[in-house]
Amino acid sequence: MAAMQSEFPHVPTNGRALPAFLIVGWRWISRNPAVAITPVLLPFIFLYFLSLISPPSLLPLEVVGAMLFTMQNIGSWVLGDSAFWRIECSLQDMFVASPLSRIRYLFGIAISNLIAMLPALAILMGLLLWAGAREGTPLTPFAFLVLLACLGVLWVLFSAVGIGISSRIRTQREIWPIGNLTFTILGMLSPLYYPLSALPPLWQDAARFLPTTYAALLIQGALGITPASPAQMVFYAFLLVTCASVGLVIMLRLYRWGEA
Amino acid sequence: MATSMLVQGVLLIFVWILAPGLLGVAFVGAIIFSTFTMGQRVLNEAAYIRIDHKANDLYLAGPMSPEAYFLGMSTGILVVYLAPVVALGALAAAVVHFTLAQGLLLIALASVVWVFSASVGYVFSTFFRDNRAIWAYSSLFFNVFGVLPPVFYPFGLFPTPLHPVALLMPPSGAAAIAQMSLGITHLTSGELALAVGGLVVETVFVFLFAIYWARRTVRAD
Repeated sequence: MAAMQSEFPHVPTNGRALPAFLIVGWRWISRNPAVAITPVLLPFIFLYFLSLISPPSLLPLEVVGAMLFTMQNIGSWVLGDSAFWRIECSLQDMFVASPLSRIRYLFGIAISNLIAMLPALAILMGLLLWAGAREGTPLTPFAFLVLLACLGVLWVLFSAVGIGISSRIRTQREIWPIGNLTFTILGMLSPLYYPLSALPPLWQDAARFLPTTYAALLIQGALGITPASPAQMVFYAFLLVTCASVGLVIMLRLYRWGEA
Repeated sequence: MATSMLVQGVLLIFVWILAPGLLGVAFVGAIIFSTFTMGQRVLNEAAYIRIDHKANDLYLAGPMSPEAYFLGMSTGILVVYLAPVVALGALAAAVVHFTLAQGLLLIALASVVWVFSASVGYVFSTFFRDNRAIWAYSSLFFNVFGVLPPVFYPFGLFPTPLHPVALLMPPSGAAAIAQMSLGITHLTSGELALAVGGLVVETVFVFLFAIYWARRTVRAD
């Protein structure tokens, strides 16, 4: 041990991991512009399609849905990055051997992917302000705070889902289909782009098990798109936090770190 | 296989919930879009085999010709992803009630779109140097050209000044011809000629270019 210390006398035992991951995220989008454009464009393609087939009054709801869907898709990106770094670059072994904990690693990858999603979220926020004003559901400071809180909860939850699943993936070819399938199905099951009441009864029951449903209902209530009393809003918030906590616990149990 | 139906599934759900009257159009569009996105699979597979496995060099060093490699891979991917398209076709037939001629026309149009997109996918795959960039660019290309133009919705809903552009894009051109055969969309004889001509000329050109490109990239290596 003493010999090792004399050989490596200045090995850092801590560091600014989160800012480093933030730079990784920025470098990723600055070097690959399509990476920044794709998450911006995909919700817009859906919104364009929806604007053709649905009543204009649903636009604010659909924009909120696109924001939640975008935030949920961070999970797919976290899954992709962590699996790629582990399988292709064998980088996770280095992090495991370092003082970085698995939770900080999770937040690091989540932050780096949040950077890539920020342009999409900023544009959708602008669109929500415009559509909300046009349809009589303006974005009040309260609604804005509710929106930010819900996006924050989903960011943490789905990043954990992404890293939890990624730690079980064995080959690179599984990354894209598993990520896409998981997060698209989760996004479609929740009433993100349509009101909950428009879904068939059985589907509504299934959607009530998903935290994204309560995030959508909470924001729709705060914006006045779907009427909700203060008691209902508190209830939705409670269910969102409860579902997200259960999901986090399950995913953190699934998440393999050193033993992989 | 399930992932090959994701976008179609999402859009069909949107239509089913928000505009059930357009379900027939959306199903026809989903079939054409499915064969169009097989090009994305060709792109992913060809790039993955070349970049990650380095197996491209191995195949091409053998007696296999470059065009046989491209066509073999495209056909293999067609076989893999055909089953969900057939299932989609069965659902579409239940909703739309095609006549035999309409069904055959739809199969012909979907096949031409497949040749076009497989050729584009193979050519594009040779431009990638990094596995991580493939998904972003290929998904961008195939979603923009497959979802924005009138493939899943009636041709008439697309802005009129852009009609010629839509007719010249193989997926939406094929969808417009299919919608016309079903009586959903009316095309003038000039528009029909533009759609058919565009589809045939672009497909033949891109297919021949893909064969040329396959040979050229082998020589470049």
